[in-house]
Amino acid sequence: MRSFISFTKKEWLFHMRSGKITVILLIFLLLGIMNPAIAKLTPWMLEAMSESLSEAGMTVSEVTVDAMTSWVQFFKNAPMGLIVFVLIEASIFTDEYRMGTMVMILTKGIKRYKVILAKASVMTVLWSGAYWLSFAVTYGYNSYFWDNSVAQSLIPSVVYWWLFGMLCTVLILFFSAIMKGTTSVLLGVGASVLFFYILTLFAKVKKFSPALLMDGNSLIYGAEDAEAYVPAVMVTSVLVLALTAASIPLFNKRQV
Amino acid sequence: MLVIKGLKKSFGDKDVLRGLDLTVPAGSIFGFIGKNGAGKTTTMKAILGLMKADGGSITVNGEDVVYGQTLTNKYIGYLPDVPEFYGFMTAREYLAFSAGISEMNCDNLSARIEELLTLVGLGEEKHRIKGYSRGMKQRLGIAQALLSEPLLLICDEPTSALDPVGRKEILDILLSLKGKTTVLFSTHILADVERICTDVAFLDGGVITLQGSPAEIKKKYRSDEYCIETECASHMELIAKQFPNVKISGETEATFSLADTELFAVMEFAASNRIPLPKLQRLEPSLESLFLEVKEK
Repeated sequence: MRSFISFTKKEWLFHMRSGKITVILLIFLLLGIMNPAIAKLTPWMLEAMSESLSEAGMTVSEVTVDAMTSWVQFFKNAPMGLIVFVLIEASIFTDEYRMGTMVMILTKGIKRYKVILAKASVMTVLWSGAYWLSFAVTYGYNSYFWDNSVAQSLIPSVVYWWLFGMLCTVLILFFSAIMKGTTSVLLGVGASVLFFYILTLFAKVKKFSPALLMDGNSLIYGAEDAEAYVPAVMVTSVLVLALTAASIPLFNKRQV
Repeated sequence: MLVIKGLKKSFGDKDVLRGLDLTVPAGSIFGFIGKNGAGKTTTMKAILGLMKADGGSITVNGEDVVYGQTLTNKYIGYLPDVPEFYGFMTAREYLAFSAGISEMNCDNLSARIEELLTLVGLGEEKHRIKGYSRGMKQRLGIAQALLSEPLLLICDEPTSALDPVGRKEILDILLSLKGKTTVLFSTHILADVERICTDVAFLDGGVITLQGSPAEIKKKYRSDEYCIETECASHMELIAKQFPNVKISGETEATFSLADTELFAVMEFAASNRIPLPKLQRLEPSLESLFLEVKEK
């Protein structure tokens, strides 16, 4: 346990001193502020553009914004935050392979699964902290300006999105156990997400695709019930556990 | 301390290790010699369980080394040729971290860290590692390798990337471990081995071609050549005239082999002709010349 704690502490120290935590938290904080800000500014922006729009034959009628507008923005901006997170964290293993620091660690007798679990725990806490920070900021502003109760199934929709982010985090772990470079890890994660997205295009398997969890808007508008996402939640949860478990023997067999 | 039997490893079509047998006695400073690409690093990575061997067995302190598991690494301290550390840490933070991940039991870790940093000449260093020179990293590498007081210290070409001053510093530190820690020290710089090693093994063609103490090996391959020096050129001319097989190598210097020239005959001739001989010495082979000789055979 002591070796796991020491390695986890090292990961946090690295994330703090390299500025990664600051960048990730700032971006998610900014996204959290942007969601209600864009909603609040929408009428003003449309009014400012009304003249040019009318010249193009479009008429701008009175625009009403509420918490829904802000939550729609939340689900539009969440992928941006996730992409930044994946880009920053994709090198969490590969930098150690490239620089040779992993060899120094493994020759100290630490069991390899502890390295996997320490890095997984740090990424999980970081993703969760950043994501829920963004949610809390949006929720707080929405409560101040409007009424959050207009959004249906809000909590399931944001939890589902968080779970999709967890899957991407575990994909980083999995591809880091088998790939050598950061680009390969990014391609692996990207290809997996693309595969999940393609699954949603087929009616028969759509409900099982983890990519369905990104469609929070259908839930908050009431177009879908939270229960409709349960198969996708189950598949995603199983994938998170299975990929984490698979990463351990793969990393054990890896020649560092 | 370390026993390797029949170790085999190939990379594609290339057989790097072809049944390597090696025994490193406890307490020795063991020079593991081979040219670049001979398989020294491959052997060391196999000892550390970092590389899967195609065949053979390795035991450290009587326990089998298993690839992918690092249980025997608790006995080992490892210093790679170019040790890499976390640049965002200080030397003290890195050593404390190393103690943590190796679950080292130490009543006074801070004192142990200070002791080691002083030993390697980094006692006053407070900066983060990212600003360290290669020599400083090498010295920190030794400190981290010795932190857990390992039974076996494995150094993979620790001096190859250093300038002469850095080389001397590292060799002095390794020499100071004599009798306390078993050191397996790979290198292609034979002068370093001659300076500090109690035992050596030559790795060539994937097998050990020669093993023993430097003195034993030199004795086994002892040269029958002598070097002779006179005070003036005319004396040397007299000797050369009397002994035609003497090879003149300078105005007052020459060498001869016992195979064709008798030592006592030369000495008697010098005495009877009142020729002073400031130098009459058997030519000891260097490890380098032995290595080349064995390699050619």
